[in-house]
Amino acid sequence: MRAIKIPALPQRVRRAVEDLRRKEDRLSLLLSLVIGALVGLVVVAFILLTGRLTTLTYLSGGSSWQRVLVPIFGSLVAGYLLYKYFPLARGSGIQQTRAALFIHDGRISLRSVVGKFVTTTLTLASGIPLGREGPAVYMGSGMASVIAHKLGLSRLQIRSLVPVGGAAAFAAAFNTPIAAVLFSLQAIVGDLHAPVLGSAVLASATSWVVLHLVLGDNPLFHVPAFHLVSVAELGIYVVLGVVGGLTSVAFVKLLLWLRAAFTRLPRTSLWIQPVAGGLTVGIFAFFVPQVLGVGYDQIERVLNGDVALKAVLILAALKIIASSVSYASGNSGGILGPTLFIGSMVGASVGAVAHLLFPASTAGPGAYALIGMGTAFAGTIRMPLTSVIMMFEITRDYRVIAPLLIANVIAFFISQKLQKEPIYDALAHQDGLHIPTRPGGAQPGIRRVSTAIREAPGSLNPEMTVGEVALLVTDSKFESWPVADELGLVGMVRTRHVAAAQKQGREDMTIERLMQIARRSDGERSVDLPHVHNDQPLSRALARMRDNGHKVLPVVSRANARIMLGVVTLADILEEYGVERADQLDYKDHPDL
Amino acid sequence: MKTPLVQPAQPPAATVSEFIATFAVILVAIAGLLLFDSALATVDTNARKAFAAKEFVTGERLIARGKIEEAVDRLRAASTLDGDNAAYGIALAQATLAGGHPRAAEQMLLPLLERDPADGPANLAMARVLAKEGRNPEATSFYHSAIYGLWPQGAEMRRTEARFELIDLLARENSRKELLAELLPIQDDSTHDVARRKRIANLFVVAGAPTRAVAIYREVLRRDPRDAEAYVGMAEAALSLGDFATARTNLVAAQKLVPTDSSALQARVVLADSVISLDPTQVGLSLPEQVRRSRNLLQMTHLSVRKCLGVQAPQVAAALDSAANALLLSPARAGQAQSIEQNISLAEQLWGLRRSRCAPDRVDGALALIHNRIAQ
Repeated sequence: MRAIKIPALPQRVRRAVEDLRRKEDRLSLLLSLVIGALVGLVVVAFILLTGRLTTLTYLSGGSSWQRVLVPIFGSLVAGYLLYKYFPLARGSGIQQTRAALFIHDGRISLRSVVGKFVTTTLTLASGIPLGREGPAVYMGSGMASVIAHKLGLSRLQIRSLVPVGGAAAFAAAFNTPIAAVLFSLQAIVGDLHAPVLGSAVLASATSWVVLHLVLGDNPLFHVPAFHLVSVAELGIYVVLGVVGGLTSVAFVKLLLWLRAAFTRLPRTSLWIQPVAGGLTVGIFAFFVPQVLGVGYDQIERVLNGDVALKAVLILAALKIIASSVSYASGNSGGILGPTLFIGSMVGASVGAVAHLLFPASTAGPGAYALIGMGTAFAGTIRMPLTSVIMMFEITRDYRVIAPLLIANVIAFFISQKLQKEPIYDALAHQDGLHIPTRPGGAQPGIRRVSTAIREAPGSLNPEMTVGEVALLVTDSKFESWPVADELGLVGMVRTRHVAAAQKQGREDMTIERLMQIARRSDGERSVDLPHVHNDQPLSRALARMRDNGHKVLPVVSRANARIMLGVVTLADILEEYGVERADQLDYKDHPDL
Repeated sequence: MKTPLVQPAQPPAATVSEFIATFAVILVAIAGLLLFDSALATVDTNARKAFAAKEFVTGERLIARGKIEEAVDRLRAASTLDGDNAAYGIALAQATLAGGHPRAAEQMLLPLLERDPADGPANLAMARVLAKEGRNPEATSFYHSAIYGLWPQGAEMRRTEARFELIDLLARENSRKELLAELLPIQDDSTHDVARRKRIANLFVVAGAPTRAVAIYREVLRRDPRDAEAYVGMAEAALSLGDFATARTNLVAAQKLVPTDSSALQARVVLADSVISLDPTQVGLSLPEQVRRSRNLLQMTHLSVRKCLGVQAPQVAAALDSAANALLLSPARAGQAQSIEQNISLAEQLWGLRRSRCAPDRVDGALALIHNRIAQ
């Protein structure tokens, strides 16, 4: 979009604007309000349009065949649009937002934002059971980025506004302004104490006000008052925490496994892959219509005690499969909505069984469904505190806190034990994105890899033989060499390994084979692609060298770990720290040595 | 040699004009989106409300046909689609109650009452739920809130209905004082509604205020001397007052007006005759007759107590037997008048014991009426 120019401006206005641009605090305050309002309105439009189109699509429930065909057709059209026009709009949007923030200096294009809006609306309206919140966060962050860029703000200012937009979007999507701030800081920035806290709060509050202005004071779910019937009931919430944690792990593992399988398919099939999700949903919906869509109406029914044990168990299982396939196959939509759905069904199941066994000392299944949502959020998204605040904001009932905390912490602990990598990190890794878990920032006194990076000495082809490579590397001062194929970096090979293989007379062995043998002998230390990123501290590079045994590490792009930006060597790191190596010491200056 | 390999590009800084223009575009976009969203929200709200109304009507029809479960589904849909309409939530709660789930119904009503504590229909629904659960003191409180609450239409009629429901509850509980307190404010209401007047009069009898009932029945009979129901009511009030002769006269009058349906009436006439023949306090009786009746009363009361306590406390019953027999068999040493007093006094004490220890028995109807009169 080209910036619009307006003719002559009065000098006074010009001075005021220049003054505003100079005072970053004031500008940040103003932009937080503007972004909050704009994002809130866009998300409200998104929610209303999605809901309206879904209602029109499935007027009076729709026939059985309509329930099969519409998701297939919807995913086919959305898949084509994603492939042809909006490749960045696939999936949830959370990891894309993080990638934009940490890798692309906060840049998200208007095209991606529009693409996310269009494709997600289409996907959700066709009944694909994915959430609207992740995409909303991406749109919010994207709008903040676009606005900041168009206003000609600095790279730092653009980056600081991305989570602000995300918070505003989350607040409008879930009607939970406090949880929105926490989510944005935790999931996007990775730091609850980030300096953007104030702006995020302001934007979130503004967005929430806009939501209320347009849609009124309607919580996401109308929930009956929560009450703990007996103290012994807390024991059942412990069980719910365990079940919720295990279910979350199952959901995450299935989703990641399916996604890995889809990423191995040829790139030419990208446009048709989402249909796998549509087809799965269609087949399920033929028999069980409640599988369609994000299912918030179904959640509300369960929260209000409308629970049949068999039905909620079936729905939980079908939703886990349908949402996993839909997401993994590349449909545009988030996992927050399905997570809440699965959690509520699992919670209702536990509650129904508990109420059956101990009717006098337990609340109805609806109360458990509520806590179940929290446990699924804590277990899947790995944000137990955000989950507690979110549920508190949804119920507006303080009594929910104690059981929620207990169940959430247990679910979080189980999930952390059984699924090491949080879902958004794992998804980013599958996309080849290496996003930092915490923001780097410009902390004084910390030396970064970028200060010690040097050009790579060249790279070896994995098809080269030991004999060929030995000629190149024997006299080199580098103790490890990068190995790359036509798609980029594949690993590092040590000079001493090449020399050893040559000594053993295995000159015809390929470098690829040599790397495999080295990896096997390294055992636990082995990492497929040892690397560091430009923005990481040098201490991290040292630790990685210790872990992998390489004295040379490739520095790779966060956007694609196979793109090598350069290398960093142990000698350079030591030099950067001002440490002289023993072989370079001038003994005349150190008579004691 | 090390070289800085990555140099992030700085975005171009906009000029002041571009800055202002971009801001203007954003503000226009906000205004446009606000209009668009408002329009969309209106369309959405109207569509949801219309659909909710349809579901509500269907739900009500299903309730009328006794299909409670299906009705609950429809009403739940209506309530979810239009959460602002408390009538849907109340109907859903009432259907849930009818489906045998009072706790769930209670949970549904709580948020409605939280939103508007003065909502008459919601308070009435909650009172019904609590009454069904046997939580009568709480139910009474919600009935009062319904009576004094706000009603969207037909407020007076709905308030009276709520009050009569409360009155029925109190009558079932035999909470006489509370019942009387509810009846007094409406005793002069609905002077043209004869059925309601008779109902109020009947409830006054239950509340232990038969005099007020008599006054209402007199007024009803003055307007229509051929109202058999009023005669019966008058008779019941007279029985409560201990005016057995008047009661009998009114029952016979009613019998004459409805000769075809007189079996129940005949039973009441027989009862009236019994009490008239048993009552030792009746005016104009000779002393020997009073003695005979008082001994008879003591014997009957003793038997009634014996029948009840014999099962509950055999030792107490045996002691009572010997005491009563000793009194009944001994000659009246202190004269007939004192004997009458002693017999009646002991009978009263025994009756008090019976009332405190045993459940009422219809067989003892006449005995109860006589003791009631003696107590007056």
